[in-house]
Amino acid sequence: MMKQSRSPLKNIFFKTLLCLIFVYLLGHLTPFLSVSSNSIISSLSFQALAYAEEDDEEEDEDEEDEEDEEGGEESAEGEEEGEEEEDLSYLTDIGPAADHEFEEFSFMGFSNRKFTWFAAQLHILFASFILGCPMFVVIMEVMGARRTQGVRKAIILSNVFLGILIGVVIGITGEVIIGIHHGVLYGLWACAFGALIVSFLNYFHRLMGIRASAFVGALFGALISMALTPVEHYETSGVILAVVNGAVGGLLSNGIMFAKSDFKFERLAHEITKVIGICYSFTALTGGLFLFIMLVAYQDFITYLISSFPTLFMVAYPTLFILETVVMYIYVYSWDPLNKSNKKGRHIVTGVVLNVLGLSLLLALDGPTTFMQTPPKPLDQLLNISEWDRIANMAWMPLNYHRLVGNGTFGGYMVCIIGAYMYLWSEKKEEREYYDWVGYIGNLIGVAIMIPLPAMGYIFVREIYQYDATIGMYIMSDRESMFMLVQGLLVGTMFSVSNIYMWVSMKRIENAERFFPAMKFGFILIVISAAIWFTPRRFFATMLPEPGMNPDMVLPDNLAFLALMISKNTAAFFLVTVTFVNYIFYTIATKTGKVHYGKINPLGPYVLIFLGFADIWLMSWMGTIRELSRMNWHVYKVFKDVTPEKFAPSLAESGLQVTQIVWTFFILMTAIIWIGIKYPKTKKKETGPAQAAPQMAE
Amino acid sequence: MKIDVIIIGIIAALSGLYALNSTFGIAGAGAGFAVMVVYALLLKVKPKKWEEKTFFQNIRFKLPFIIVLSGVIWVLAGKFNFPVWWQIEFVAFAFVGFSFFMLLDWKTFKQEKSSFDWVKRILVTYALASAIFIGATAQLPQFDPEFELAKLNRPPVKLEGLAGPEVIAAGREVFENNKCFNCHKVFWEGNSDRGPNLGSKQIGLYTGDYIKDQILNPRKNQSPGFEDAKSKKAMPTYYGDDLSEDELSALVSYLKTLRDPTHMPVEGKFPNQWTWWDDKDVIATGQQVFEGLQPETEGLTCAVCHGKDGIPMMTGALDFRNENNADTTKIEGDHTDKPLKEWPDALWYRRVTRGVPNTPMAPWGMIFPHLYLWKAEAYARTFHDPLDKRTAIRPVPPIPTKEEIESWKTDGLFMDPLL
Repeated sequence: MMKQSRSPLKNIFFKTLLCLIFVYLLGHLTPFLSVSSNSIISSLSFQALAYAEEDDEEEDEDEEDEEDEEGGEESAEGEEEGEEEEDLSYLTDIGPAADHEFEEFSFMGFSNRKFTWFAAQLHILFASFILGCPMFVVIMEVMGARRTQGVRKAIILSNVFLGILIGVVIGITGEVIIGIHHGVLYGLWACAFGALIVSFLNYFHRLMGIRASAFVGALFGALISMALTPVEHYETSGVILAVVNGAVGGLLSNGIMFAKSDFKFERLAHEITKVIGICYSFTALTGGLFLFIMLVAYQDFITYLISSFPTLFMVAYPTLFILETVVMYIYVYSWDPLNKSNKKGRHIVTGVVLNVLGLSLLLALDGPTTFMQTPPKPLDQLLNISEWDRIANMAWMPLNYHRLVGNGTFGGYMVCIIGAYMYLWSEKKEEREYYDWVGYIGNLIGVAIMIPLPAMGYIFVREIYQYDATIGMYIMSDRESMFMLVQGLLVGTMFSVSNIYMWVSMKRIENAERFFPAMKFGFILIVISAAIWFTPRRFFATMLPEPGMNPDMVLPDNLAFLALMISKNTAAFFLVTVTFVNYIFYTIATKTGKVHYGKINPLGPYVLIFLGFADIWLMSWMGTIRELSRMNWHVYKVFKDVTPEKFAPSLAESGLQVTQIVWTFFILMTAIIWIGIKYPKTKKKETGPAQAAPQMAE
Repeated sequence: MKIDVIIIGIIAALSGLYALNSTFGIAGAGAGFAVMVVYALLLKVKPKKWEEKTFFQNIRFKLPFIIVLSGVIWVLAGKFNFPVWWQIEFVAFAFVGFSFFMLLDWKTFKQEKSSFDWVKRILVTYALASAIFIGATAQLPQFDPEFELAKLNRPPVKLEGLAGPEVIAAGREVFENNKCFNCHKVFWEGNSDRGPNLGSKQIGLYTGDYIKDQILNPRKNQSPGFEDAKSKKAMPTYYGDDLSEDELSALVSYLKTLRDPTHMPVEGKFPNQWTWWDDKDVIATGQQVFEGLQPETEGLTCAVCHGKDGIPMMTGALDFRNENNADTTKIEGDHTDKPLKEWPDALWYRRVTRGVPNTPMAPWGMIFPHLYLWKAEAYARTFHDPLDKRTAIRPVPPIPTKEEIESWKTDGLFMDPLL
């Protein structure tokens, strides 16, 4: 069978196809080239047309310059024509449609902005799911796969992928908190190469010990990262960061390579993938909805934005999208067939490829998103810079990091939701045990990835402050200050509820009571930290009191430190530390006492649902804050919003809108989880097939 | 493996203590250490057998305790001068803690018996979360979007055809719209002390060109007390690109009005502030003015009458060496019985800027920039209160209230023209 599938014809066909795609990409995906160097694209640009009237004089000058360069003959013709100007308006005249005016639309309280807001956030929520979940689904698949030779080969690749993700997160955290120059590069290279080298050695059974793996990872990871990171002189902090990342890469690789496969992970990964498949369709649907709404509500702006990124929107995005769709469906539908034909390793590789494509898509679309926030300066040169420069603007990489980690957290809490729903919908004891475990894993992923999230948010806002402090002040001290206070409330709620879940879970672990007094003390610290995080400098909603506000509601100067970042960071430090300590207690309890899965206090699943709702609400809220921070600009200081809804909506109105969006998402997700996981089980029960069998040995 | 865990734990604990020490000093590290000790002790406590509590057992001790604790928090917060809303916030968080501890000790929920049970509970969960989030966003302070809309709809600043007060009002709007209040207070108004309080610093004493240059090139001169690395980078450098010429002129016009005729200018970052009375650089410049060596006040030499070494050269000239020298009665209706050492700043300023009638003490404020006159006054004081003999600096005056600032205008404390 295997020999048949490797027929020369197929090989030639795929090789040719790959070559064609490669040549195609080389020819078309050229974001590094400047727009001005690509005359075809730039001349087709809507943007150029949009500015045709305003920049008549400048363009005339440019044309003259070009003509001068091209030669005297054309120049002479130009002079002759100059005497009697030819009317070229027919070239841009679009007919009677030019007089069409777009009006503000309203339906049942929904306006242009609210429709756009609704569709955009719904789209982002689904997109986060399909980008966030595959990251740990592939790792779960690895954890659940028997360590056959093929799987072990695939693990080398998946370890490198995980090393990149973890290295970036640790590196960027070191860069932000300790101020290590190029921390992200040290982290990325050290962890990735540490993982690669250790995985290779592990594969050949040359390096079995976990300490030796950590050492080898640290040594080689650090050396390679130091060679690859462009710094003039090495700083101790950077080298330490590289060593730590290399060691982490080595440890993870060793741990994963020799982990005992647990079929529960395989099953969980498979079930989440079924949900991903349906969510993918909803991502596309809501994306289309968003685009249609934009075309009605903000036609000028969407035209401008898309035409500012011609290569991205005409070539790169559709290519990535199509490729991701193809790979995603291969990943979803090849799960059982590849399991049955003992090709689990290939499936894992497909999962890694899916993630790479998904992350590329995220990076690509973050370009226009951040372009709206921090268009490259000087702004009067915006039309002359390359498309790549527009993508790689100041906030681009920070948003990439932020969304990467945010999507992971989101995915973790969605696993909580899946676990909680399925627990409630299950009747069998074994099923309940399994989904109780799923809830535990979801919370573990959600909280673990959420811990570095504040650092990612911090670096994003720091870049915005550096770009234009006015935006930062609008967020932190002006019209969005109360929005940020709500963010504090949500973060405090999430950490608290996560810890409550751990408490509830530990009640079903034998001999776990010994940790309860210390955990209760932790709860006191959490409440104090949450109170400090929530404490505002003033209790009116703008920088200066406006009519109807109470100007006396300001903290006295000697107490103002409570509202400053130093206090907030300390509160965050304690929230994270207490949560981490509780997780250590939880882990020790699970290792030293029997866990009665399936016997969790029935409060547990609802705590998880609350947690998931809070996380997704917070995610939508932060998106709202980011969007509103551009004030009355679609593209900050470049494309003004002149519609009647250019102002910031009130806190109450925003709260209601976000709640409506999150409710819609949850209603759809409830249906998707039912259709994706529960319904097939019900059907199987009716027809009577056996449970999904563990994968066969190779 | 155990030793690895112990080593990692010790490294993590020491790192945490180091972070707290570098942020809050020894007190922070001490608090962190105390937390660790409490954790260690609590882990040693032999826990009681877990017992489920009924609702009343659950609140029997917790409710009275939280009520007493809330009272203590309320009183303590009041003692520390927290405004009422913060008192409410802290007490509310005490009740949040109460809810947590109620939940921790709550009886195990009953298992769902039918689909209806879990549907009901799921809906309650969503409703509870939604109610908290909608409630919080509805109850926290709101702004009126119409107010921002009105601001956005205003035409851009054009100085053509505008008179003085309108230009100043436009300048204030520019100040406000560019979020300058975020870092700079103007007397009592503003958001933080990240940058100098432009009111108590009296930025209006400086020339328009200097102020404009400071806005466009904020890294050029750092305000005294703001020399730290963070402050040096704090002021954005893009205002030259962002502000039109008219906006910049209006802004400077507004900043030129920021003067205080009743107090010496204040320098430094809160809470480490000082007045010009104790500023050695200011006093050095003041000496130059006093001795007629300052180019910007060419023609003014205080030493001609008051003496270079403080010994009056002219009969009737005030002897600054004698701290108990009384005010004269030469200024009708404006006399104070206080000796020289207790003169309020306003009296110094008034006598120098408006002069003393029927004496050679001319109204110098009509001729010379007040920036230098204040400095000369700071120097004059050193004759009876030498800088090197001072054991404490003069207290920084309280920030003037809105009413006081209004009264300066209505009481005619500002001169015309105001140099």
